[in-house]
Amino acid sequence: MIQVKGLTKIFPSGLRAVDGLDLTINAGEIFALLGPNGAGKTTTIRVMSTISGFDEGSVQIAGYNVDSDPQKVRESIGVVAQQTGIDYFLTGRENLALQGQLYRMNRADINARIDELGGYFELHDSLDRLVSTYSGGMRRKLDIACALIHRPRLVFLDEPTLGLDIKSRQSLWRYIEKLNREFNLTILLTTHYLEEADNLAHRVAIINLGKIQVIGTPAELKHSVQGDSVVLEFAAGDPHAGKFATAIKQEPFVSDVLWETDKLHLYVDSGAGRVPRIMQAATEHGTTVRTLSLAEPTLDDVFLKYTGASISGTAGETTDEWWKQWAGKGGGNWSNKWQADNGKPAEGTPDAADWQKWQQGDNKGGGNASGEWPQDRDANPSSNAGPEQSQDSNQKWPSDKWSGSDDWKKRDKPE
Amino acid sequence: MLADTWHLFGKYMRITLRMPMWTFFTLIQPLIWLVIFGQLFRNMYQASVPAGGHYMDFLVPGIVIMTVLFGSAWSGVSLLRDITSGTVDRMLVSPVSRVAIVLSRVLHSAAQVVVQSVIILLLAVLLGAKISLNPLHLGLMLVIVMLLGIAFASVSNGLAILLQREEPLVAIGNLMTLPLMLFSSALMPVALMPEWIRTVAHFNPIDHAVAAVRSVLIAPMDAGTYAIGFSVVAVFAAVTTGWAISAFNSLRD
Ligand SMILES: Nc1ncnc2c1ncn2[C@@H]1O[C@H](COP(=O)(O)OP(=O)(O)O)[C@@H](O)[C@H]1O
Ligand SMILES: [Mg+2]
Repeated sequence: MIQVKGLTKIFPSGLRAVDGLDLTINAGEIFALLGPNGAGKTTTIRVMSTISGFDEGSVQIAGYNVDSDPQKVRESIGVVAQQTGIDYFLTGRENLALQGQLYRMNRADINARIDELGGYFELHDSLDRLVSTYSGGMRRKLDIACALIHRPRLVFLDEPTLGLDIKSRQSLWRYIEKLNREFNLTILLTTHYLEEADNLAHRVAIINLGKIQVIGTPAELKHSVQGDSVVLEFAAGDPHAGKFATAIKQEPFVSDVLWETDKLHLYVDSGAGRVPRIMQAATEHGTTVRTLSLAEPTLDDVFLKYTGASISGTAGETTDEWWKQWAGKGGGNWSNKWQADNGKPAEGTPDAADWQKWQQGDNKGGGNASGEWPQDRDANPSSNAGPEQSQDSNQKWPSDKWSGSDDWKKRDKPE
Repeated sequence: MLADTWHLFGKYMRITLRMPMWTFFTLIQPLIWLVIFGQLFRNMYQASVPAGGHYMDFLVPGIVIMTVLFGSAWSGVSLLRDITSGTVDRMLVSPVSRVAIVLSRVLHSAAQVVVQSVIILLLAVLLGAKISLNPLHLGLMLVIVMLLGIAFASVSNGLAILLQREEPLVAIGNLMTLPLMLFSSALMPVALMPEWIRTVAHFNPIDHAVAAVRSVLIAPMDAGTYAIGFSVVAVFAAVTTGWAISAFNSLRD
């Protein structure tokens, strides 16, 4: 549906807002561009919507080139911009009708479509009120309805839930998810909310400084942080802690060990199951563990890993430090492990068992169009070869993960 | 393109009709000029141009043109607001004709000043001005008003795109209107002007517009003056609209 190759956009100020961006988005997918403010998300969307020019690269949208066939591209897409652009002094119905006219639909078709969308977004009762009386969430719904008036197969949503309260945000997620499921609408959304990408998207690309750092399903990205994170805190100046750390690093289930002053971060394949062994090892070495916390990796962890910075920018200094330490090591040995998984899963580990189950599930799912997205697989290693991640460039994403093309559709969705 | 223009024009008209106060607000200034100038210059005018009739009659065409200037200069400001609010982007991502986006704005402005001129004319009649109320004459006057409205709305939109900011646009708008009025026969008969101002006025489209409006509003009608005024204003409108459209097309960043 979308093929972007080497897209580069340089503003007159000399700023490379988008820098060699490669992206392939498939029909029927919800794809999230996740990045902090100023990452280049809006600029990318504007180029794809034909309203911004660009300096290098090629952009194909719905089979048309934005440069040579902009009019065809415009007819094929619906765009919800970051700023709403709906007219506050018109009613919801008038906004929708005008939008239909801009797409040269006939009157009867427009009316039918307004009824349909009004029902879908539960705006029926408010359609004849001025938009200036709408709540933020209603405006966003009207915005999306406007973008869908001409039945596009592809929509761009630029920060669709920006500025909404949690409740409206979750309600909007449900609509977006439903649009994708019921009408097989392809959705490219940008966001700087991790939960949004995590909850909504089948695949996520983390974008920072105009470059894509990594692409994958939320689960894969989280998996790339290598299992769970166990944080142990020792008494200040515990003489045995260092010895313990060295020893625990030798355990096969520990993929990485990082010190943050008196805290030890362990990355282990399956947190809960390993806690007894960790405690046992601690006792063997004569150290006292004061606190232990266990967490599944979040996309924030992924973001930190690939960009060396927190997306929210609220991470404390110490946190920042040890993540830099982590990133500086090129992600430890997790990439090697990925390759091992890819070739021959290590027997007996819970990881491998899950793996096999998943693959079986895939096969039952009647994997249509297996290996449908070869470009993605190939694009990943090169696209995350940033200056700090260059060690990762030989990383291979397990191709098995892609064998069931519908797999991402089966993920749990917020109801 | 015509259908696109019509739909967008309809939208702007609808918004304007929902906020009629704005239309009246821009009438206040011309009205003040009409009353104050009518009083201020009356004696001087009648002393200097004994055969010229009432100053009020002479002044009304000038005030009508002034209404056009004040009324259409806001078009660019609202374009900038539409750009900031995302309304323009919403049009640009649709297949709507880019020409229609500019044309609809400009025509909306023109329609607005036509209505405003009619209101000013009615008020002037109430204030005692003796002008021709012949429908043909009024129609011819409104043609000039419309063309000039298109021209100045285009200038305003074009400048908005070049300047990208509201403040300088408003400043230039204000700076531009006064000399355009003063270097024309809007307020002063040509006979009272110094030679050099007369020469400058010759190149001022406002002067020709005022002359054309005056030629139909004040009997007897002067077809020759009207024809010249019409041609000048029509060419002016065409050139400025073309310029505004090309400025808009260069908006892509
Ligand atoms: N019109 C513009 N002129 C110059 N720089 C711009 C322009 N628009 C955006 N930028 C810059 O480009 C970078 C990317 O912006 P943007 O795409 O809006 O980021 P995002 O949407 O991810 O927050 C930012 O540093 C921003 O300041
Ligand atoms: Mg943005």
